[in-house]
Amino acid sequence: MSTHAVGGHAATARSASGTRRSGDGRDRLFRRSVTGVVIALALLWLVPIAWALDTSFKAEPDTIKIPVNWAISHFTLSAYSTDFSASDIARWYINSAIVGVIVTVLTVFAASMAGYALSRQSFLGKRVLYVVILAGIMIPPQALMVPLFREFQAVHAINTYWALILPQVPAPIAVFIFKKFFDGQPIELDQAARIDGASWWTCYRRIALPLARPAVAAVSIFTFVWTWNNFLWPFLAATNQTMMTIPVGLGTVIPGTGITNALQMASAVLGALPLVMVFLLGQRQIVEGVAGTGLK
Amino acid sequence: MAEMSLKGLCKRFDDGTLAVDDLSLEIGDGELMILVGPSGCGKTTALRMIAGLEEISEGELWIDGEMVNYLPPKSRDMAMVFQNYALYPHMTVRQNMSFGLEQAKIDKAEISRKVDEAAGILDLTEHLDRRPGQLSGGQRQRVAMGRAIVRDPKAFLMDEPLSNLDAKLRTQMRTELARIQNQLGTTTVYVTHDQIEAMTLGDRVAVMRGGVLQQVASPRDLYERPSNLFVAGFMGSPAINLFRARVERETLSSPLGEIPLDRRLRDALGQAGHAETVVVGLRPEHLMDAAITEPPHEGAVAFSHDVGVLEAMGAEYYAYFDLPDQPGMDVADTAHDPDADPAGQRQGKQLIARLPIDSEVREHKPIELWFDPGRLHVFHPESGERLSDVASEPHGR
Repeated sequence: MSTHAVGGHAATARSASGTRRSGDGRDRLFRRSVTGVVIALALLWLVPIAWALDTSFKAEPDTIKIPVNWAISHFTLSAYSTDFSASDIARWYINSAIVGVIVTVLTVFAASMAGYALSRQSFLGKRVLYVVILAGIMIPPQALMVPLFREFQAVHAINTYWALILPQVPAPIAVFIFKKFFDGQPIELDQAARIDGASWWTCYRRIALPLARPAVAAVSIFTFVWTWNNFLWPFLAATNQTMMTIPVGLGTVIPGTGITNALQMASAVLGALPLVMVFLLGQRQIVEGVAGTGLK
Repeated sequence: MAEMSLKGLCKRFDDGTLAVDDLSLEIGDGELMILVGPSGCGKTTALRMIAGLEEISEGELWIDGEMVNYLPPKSRDMAMVFQNYALYPHMTVRQNMSFGLEQAKIDKAEISRKVDEAAGILDLTEHLDRRPGQLSGGQRQRVAMGRAIVRDPKAFLMDEPLSNLDAKLRTQMRTELARIQNQLGTTTVYVTHDQIEAMTLGDRVAVMRGGVLQQVASPRDLYERPSNLFVAGFMGSPAINLFRARVERETLSSPLGEIPLDRRLRDALGQAGHAETVVVGLRPEHLMDAAITEPPHEGAVAFSHDVGVLEAMGAEYYAYFDLPDQPGMDVADTAHDPDADPAGQRQGKQLIARLPIDSEVREHKPIELWFDPGRLHVFHPESGERLSDVASEPHGR
């Protein structure tokens, strides 16, 4: 009787540990599969970047050799020196930085205030206004280029910072992000501040905005990156070399004929370099910001 | 300090819900007025209207002789303590407490002095440089209080300020709160759903139900002379026993036996018109164990019943008795609200007695009990309104 019982317990224990082992095996397989997929996706993204970097250090004739070869037979910085010598690249960097920073500051300021008002205030036409703003997300920016160009041309603002900055400030998606973020903040904080004697402006500036740091970080990063990389509008709004931003200016360095692979890749690297540096410096805040707002 | 006068306040939300219906209330200078009632009774909405956080749909709100319906919250000079404290998480305790004073453009040295003084009263001096996230629940609650008292406002508005604390801390903070309010003598409107908080803290208690004020009275009056079945059921823990009794010629025929009609009961029944039944209420502490206490006079009604469930509470027993089903005699048919029964008793179907711990009561054994008919509360069978007055000097007391 007792032997039987012991055997029974042992069998149960074995079966439990067997289940655990098979569960562990499934977990391990799942983890490995996920890692494999992540590595494959990372390669898909990284290979073109590595290829651009690799090509930018080659002489032009080496870039079209068949079979395609990663090895650099003659390391040269000639593509970079062409970019620097044949252009006003320092000026373009400054222009991009000015436009990027001002657009980012204005976007965060305007969108957060709009988001706060939509989240906390009640006013006539609020719903309609919100729907109109949301509809703005659906309109492709390209559709607005010609009317915008006409508008700025009419006020003689082409080739000015105003033309480069103002059309890039209204960002419906940023208003949406801020509104959603403020919706998630306890309304009692604002109410406590209002009873404490604060105006709406003080509630926004001293309570709501400091608590919306993740949203501010995410919107700032994405606005800056988008503005830095934006090509079409600056291409239309800045025809004068001295007003060009990096993506537009570097495009003018590349001649229309001949082999220009190395030059094109060097230009791409130079254009992306400041963003990579910004990312490396603010990696933690960027990741937190993206995680905090669910943006990607 | 301030006097408040609520004159027929109504709050109708956009969806048509009438959250507060014709609320009229006079709150005296330095008084601690409690608004109590079950969830959704409109007590918080009423408080928010006083604070200026909700627009007043109808009626008038007067503070110190000034009609303030259209004044924004910041101009009403009130301080509010929220249920979740609403402390600014990115600010230190000192910054939290200073915020209101900064808005009033008070001199920095004066702000610092006031904050230090309030922190001293609330035992927060050591925590002034910490943020709310680094504090315990009780400390956060004290910071919320500190933020209110540092401003020295006309009135404090408190929206269930203790409900996020555990039971022990809640009792401790309740005493603390009463002490501070007493010390400062500031007019206070305090919202709670906890009738024990209401009974222990309030100078007067306003009981609300479905947006309508049911009764305003001192805690003792509310307990001893509830104006209707709802108030009777809501105030008191365990809840009052309610059962129907049939009106006979010389007696009330109840599940507890024949209750002789004295003058008081006859007067009460006179107000009930030609009702065949009335609803009778009896507090659990007014059921006596005959083995310990002798009925002092002939008028007492004695009965014997089997004990159902018995709960030993340490200092006393809660003994539950099942009453026989009486078709057509269900208390739920009256205006009594089952939500207002905090003990979850099946009113009219179960009886509860609070007996001393030295009682010989045992589960599933019969026990002899008695009660003084002078302690009975009689309510109208349909409207649920009070018909009787409890005898000021009950027999044998």
